[in-house]
Amino acid sequence: MRAIEVRGLRKGYGDFIALNGIDLDVDEGEVFALLGPNGAGKTTLIRILAEGLSYDSGEIRVFGEPLSKKTARLIGYAPQESLAYDDLTVRENLEFYANLYDVPGKRVDELIERFKLPAKKKAKELSGGFKKRLNLAVALLYDPKILVLDEPSTGLDVPSKRELWELIKEFREEGKTVLLATHYMEEAEALADRVAIMNEGKVIAVGTPEELKGLAGNESVIHVEGILRGTEAILREFRAIERENVLRVSVEDARKALPKVVEALVEGGSEIRSIRIEEPTLEDVFLKLTGRGLE
Amino acid sequence: MKARAVKGIVVKDLRETRRDRMAVFWIFVFPLMWVTLLGAIWGGSSPPVVVHVGAVYFNESAPFTASTLIGIMENVSVDGQKVFRITRYPDESAGLEAVKAGRIDVLLVFPRGFGKNVSSGLQGKVYAYFDRSDPQKYQIASGVVKGFFSEFEREMAYRKLNITLGYVEAYFPKNLSANFSPSMVRAYLVGMMDPIDLKEEAVTGERPSPIKFYVTSFIGIQFLFATMLTVSNLLFEEIEKGTLRRIAASPATAWDFLVGKMLSTFIVITASILIGVVYSKAVFKETVFPGPTGWLIIALSAVFSMSLGLAIAMGTRSMKATNALVNLISMPLLFLAAIVIPESILPRWARPIADYFPLGTALKDLRLLEIYHRPPSEVFPDVAWIAINSLLMLLIAVLLYNWAIKRLQ
Repeated sequence: MRAIEVRGLRKGYGDFIALNGIDLDVDEGEVFALLGPNGAGKTTLIRILAEGLSYDSGEIRVFGEPLSKKTARLIGYAPQESLAYDDLTVRENLEFYANLYDVPGKRVDELIERFKLPAKKKAKELSGGFKKRLNLAVALLYDPKILVLDEPSTGLDVPSKRELWELIKEFREEGKTVLLATHYMEEAEALADRVAIMNEGKVIAVGTPEELKGLAGNESVIHVEGILRGTEAILREFRAIERENVLRVSVEDARKALPKVVEALVEGGSEIRSIRIEEPTLEDVFLKLTGRGLE
Repeated sequence: MKARAVKGIVVKDLRETRRDRMAVFWIFVFPLMWVTLLGAIWGGSSPPVVVHVGAVYFNESAPFTASTLIGIMENVSVDGQKVFRITRYPDESAGLEAVKAGRIDVLLVFPRGFGKNVSSGLQGKVYAYFDRSDPQKYQIASGVVKGFFSEFEREMAYRKLNITLGYVEAYFPKNLSANFSPSMVRAYLVGMMDPIDLKEEAVTGERPSPIKFYVTSFIGIQFLFATMLTVSNLLFEEIEKGTLRRIAASPATAWDFLVGKMLSTFIVITASILIGVVYSKAVFKETVFPGPTGWLIIALSAVFSMSLGLAIAMGTRSMKATNALVNLISMPLLFLAAIVIPESILPRWARPIADYFPLGTALKDLRLLEIYHRPPSEVFPDVAWIAINSLLMLLIAVLLYNWAIKRLQ
């Protein structure tokens, strides 16, 4: 069954068009990722679904029913920013939301135990990881069928990120539908059954990570790490992304292109630490589809 | 209305307030400061009036002189307190300098020959120069000095009358009718000289206590200013934190949210009021503890004030702007609506504000009930006026809340 159906959704803020005719289907029980750079329209789409943000036109159904305050109860939402009140303890924060949603008090205890939250600690004393967990606990208070997560791992260190991913996998195992918005392609690859790539308010491709990588065709990626100089020529000649001492060059024939890439870097005075040929990632697909990187 | 959602908002706000040190200061320390300060300044009974008199006169050898009169003035006292503080000046110009410099309230100049004239039964001239720069001070000084001279003249007239009557009795013809006697002549002359015999009787009436006045002022500040500021800040914290969107998306309605916010604010402000009221009783032995009608007026006024605060918060776009606007509105109103000052000293143009602005009306009625002990029925029409205004303001707040939520989206 379709958990979420979106048809022709449009939303603008004055002259700026945030969503430009979105069509999307999310199946029950799957983890569905919205992948795109900042400003692609992911958060707007999520806020329409989870916070009742108004939209200009289009249709949204949740488990076959039009989106309303009633169906919103089927959706639990963990936004990017913390929902916690700093001066309240973890338990008091959960109790507040439990009162708003008329959820029995014992559910608060269950969630504190499940997410191993420090019940008596004030929210302002929590680490980033625990704040995200508290957001998740709030989202799950009324046991929704769909969990919507906006940039869940932004700001987390690697161990906290891994722990969070494990929790998201648990939700899927419990049969919940998870819709997550991210601009980290590794997060989408690690968690999502299907991914929608968004850019400038449009969904430009949908499929499993493997299907999407197939859009890159026979291409492979030359991945170079080191202190890189003289990359301008490469960025002009090839489809490439440069970020934090890493250069990824998408090419049809790696064996032909590799000498040219290395020559350009050496001439530019680069100190190359490693070079390898890789399969394309979702970011490379995004690059192929839009001509720019995800960040 | 969802009672559990309202309770959740109230409990959450109370917990946050309890842990916010600044809020605790304003709610619990400020009342003590206010009551202590005003109690120390205005508490206790008013001291008797003292008029500073300058005197210029000449030494004379008559039986009654200006020096004798000044000596009498120096000894006039009320409740053991001397009424006139006399300073002698060598000449008129030195005395006038003292008036201009504000060192004395009035200068009395007795020209040469004053003693001789008065001692001979003739009229004695006195020049009085009043400092009229402060009308209120002038009225007091002029009243007291003229009152003294009036009483002094009366006493002199009686003495002259007694001397005259002594002669009348001695030389009164014996063969006149029984209807015309010395006692009748005396009564006629007294009536001519002093046509009204004013008998002064002391009555101890109910005097509004300054402490009680300032306790009601404190209550007014709390339900006008503090509620408006507290509720608007509580709302803006939700907007800036992004939690208002979440609350709006929850099953809680606009009414649940606004009632929750108002209740939590009202509880906090009531606690603050009670602290001030009890503290005043403990320290100054006087206080105002509102009765049921008083509390009804406080509650209705608080709804008006909080709705106004919410409307301002939802009409502005930042906490800074909200605070500025709340201060801009409430600060002048503390005075113009006669909340911290008596209505009697307001200028004429400001009186309608105190009479018709719901919070001014509320405080006036609270004072009538709690300081002057008027019956509640006397203020019921005003209570209806306050209730109608509070309801209207609440409706405006709800409309603006819904508009603000749409704007946030």
